[in-house]
Amino acid sequence: MRRVPTQRFVLGFASLAAMVLAYTVLSNAHLFRPEVVPPTQEIAVAFTELVVGARPPPVTEGDMHAGHHGHSSAHVGTLLQQGVTLQDSLAITAARVLFGLAAGVPLGVLLGVLMGWSRRADDYLHPIYVLLRSVPPLALITYVMLWLGHGEAHRLIPIVYAVAATMVIPAYHGVRDVLVTYVVAARSLGARRWLLVRKVLLPAAGPALLAGLRYAVAIAWMTAVGAEMLMSENGMGNLIVGGGLWASRTQTKADPAVVIVGIVTLAAAGWAMDALARSATARLTRWVR
Amino acid sequence: MPPKKDNFFSGPGIRTRTARALLSVGALAVVYGIASEIGRGRLPDRIWLGTHYVENVQLLPPYPSLAEETTFLLESGILTSSIAVSAGRVLLGFLLGGAFGILLGIATGRATRAEYLADPWVTFFRFTPALALLPLFVLWFGYGEGSKVLLIATSVAVVTILGAHQGVRSVPRVYLDAAAALGASPGLAFRKIVLPAALPHIFASLRIGLGLAWVTIVVAELIDARMPSLGYLLTLAGAYPRVPTMVVGIATIGALVLAFDLLALWVHARATRWMRRTA
Repeated sequence: MRRVPTQRFVLGFASLAAMVLAYTVLSNAHLFRPEVVPPTQEIAVAFTELVVGARPPPVTEGDMHAGHHGHSSAHVGTLLQQGVTLQDSLAITAARVLFGLAAGVPLGVLLGVLMGWSRRADDYLHPIYVLLRSVPPLALITYVMLWLGHGEAHRLIPIVYAVAATMVIPAYHGVRDVLVTYVVAARSLGARRWLLVRKVLLPAAGPALLAGLRYAVAIAWMTAVGAEMLMSENGMGNLIVGGGLWASRTQTKADPAVVIVGIVTLAAAGWAMDALARSATARLTRWVR
Repeated sequence: MPPKKDNFFSGPGIRTRTARALLSVGALAVVYGIASEIGRGRLPDRIWLGTHYVENVQLLPPYPSLAEETTFLLESGILTSSIAVSAGRVLLGFLLGGAFGILLGIATGRATRAEYLADPWVTFFRFTPALALLPLFVLWFGYGEGSKVLLIATSVAVVTILGAHQGVRSVPRVYLDAAAALGASPGLAFRKIVLPAALPHIFASLRIGLGLAWVTIVVAELIDARMPSLGYLLTLAGAYPRVPTMVVGIATIGALVLAFDLLALWVHARATRWMRRTA
C-alpha cells in the first residue's frame, strides 16, 4: 500500500513541472508580448522584488538579461514606492480573513443551530435568511460604505457576512439531520436542554460544521480579495490591481507578473489554511469511526 | 402514499409555516418602512467618503422613492436590459464552466491517474479567488465578453469538478461489481449506475456554482464597464452615490439569485424523482 501515495506524488509533481516547463518555453518563444505573457524568470524577479521590498541594486555586467534592468513594470514600481511588500499584503489580507472567520463563524453557527433546533425559529427566520443569502456580499460593499465611511469596517463586514451566510447551512443541517435518534435516546435517558446541546447536539453536528468551516475559509479569502480589489489601499487585492480598480474603475492596467505572483501566493496561503482546518477536523472528530 | 410519520418533530403543517414565513418577511418590510420614515430628515445626508463629501444621500430611502426609482429604471429599459445582459453572461459562463467541471470531475473520479494528474491544478484553482484572475483575464482575453464569461466559467468549474468527482467516488463498489457480474458493459454501468448515483452531488455543486457565478459577475462587470449590466449599475449608483438605485440593484440581483436557485432546485427535484420512491 506504499505505492499509491508515491504514485500520487510523482504524477502530481510531474503534471505541475510539465505545466511550468511548457509555460516557460512558450513565454520565452517570443510568440506573445512579454507584457501579456511574462516569461517565468520575470515572474521570479517580480516575486523577489516584492518580497525584498525595494529595487535591487543596479544590474551587474554579468547579468543574463542585459538591458533588462530588473522587472521594470510601472506596477511593481508603484507598489514599491508605496512601501508595499508581498508578505505585508498577505498578512493584512490574512488578518481580514481571520477576523471574518472569528466574527462570522459564531454568528452563522448560532443562527444555524437555532434554526435547526427550533422548528418555530426555522419557520420565522429561514425566509429572511434565504433573502439575505441571495445578495452577493460584494454587492453590498458600497452601501455599507455610506453607513460606515471609507474605513476598515466596511471592508470587513462583507467578509463577516459571507462567512456567516456560509456557516448557517452546515450548522442547520448538522443539527437537524443527525438529531432524531440521538435526541430521542438522550431525552428518554433524562437529558435536559443544555446537557442535550452540549453533549449530543454539538458533537453530532461537529463533522458537518468542520466541513462547512473549510468551505467558509475559501469563501472568506475570495471575499476579502474581492473587497480589497474594489476599495482598499492595502492587502493582496490591492497588490494585484495596483490600486487601479477603484481609482479608475473602467481600466485595469495590471502587470501580469505581479498578478501571477499574487495568485500563486493566495493559492498557497489558502491551501495552508485549508490544511490547518483539515488537520483540526481530523483531530477534533477522531471519535467518528 | 405512506402514512405521515408522527414523532415529536413533525411540526405544524404547511399552512402555518407559510403564514409564519409571510409574517416574518412582512414584519421586516414594515420595520424598514417605519425606520425609513423615522430616518427621513434625521439621518445625515452629507457623508464624508475619505476624500470628499457627498451630498443628498438617502441612507434609508423610503418606499415611495424606491417605487419611483423602480418605475424609472423599468420605463427607461435600463433595468430590464441590464438583467438580460448580466443573466446572459451568468448563464453562458455557468454552462461552460459546469460542462467542463462535470466532465473533468467524472474523469478524475473514474480514473485514478487522471485524478493524480489533475489534483495539483484543482487544488491551485480551488484556493485562488476567481476575482484575482480578473486582471489577468483582461490582458489575455481582452476587455470584451470573453473575459467576463470565462471568469464566471472558472469559478463555476472549480466547484463542479469537486462535486462530480465526489459524486462518482461515492458510488458503492458493490453496485459496480454486481452490475459487472450480471454482464453489464462498462458503458451501461456508467449510464445506469454511476451517473444517477453521482447526480445529487453534481446538482449540489451546480447550485453552489450558480451562487458563485452571481458573486463573480458583480465584480467582473467592472471591466470595460458599460451599460447595460447590473454590476455597472451598482457601481454607478455607488459612485454618485444614489441609494435608491443601489437598493433596487441589490434587490434585483438578490431576486435573480433566488429565482435561479429555485429553478435549480426544481430541476434537481425533477431529475432525481426516482429517488423519492426509496425514501
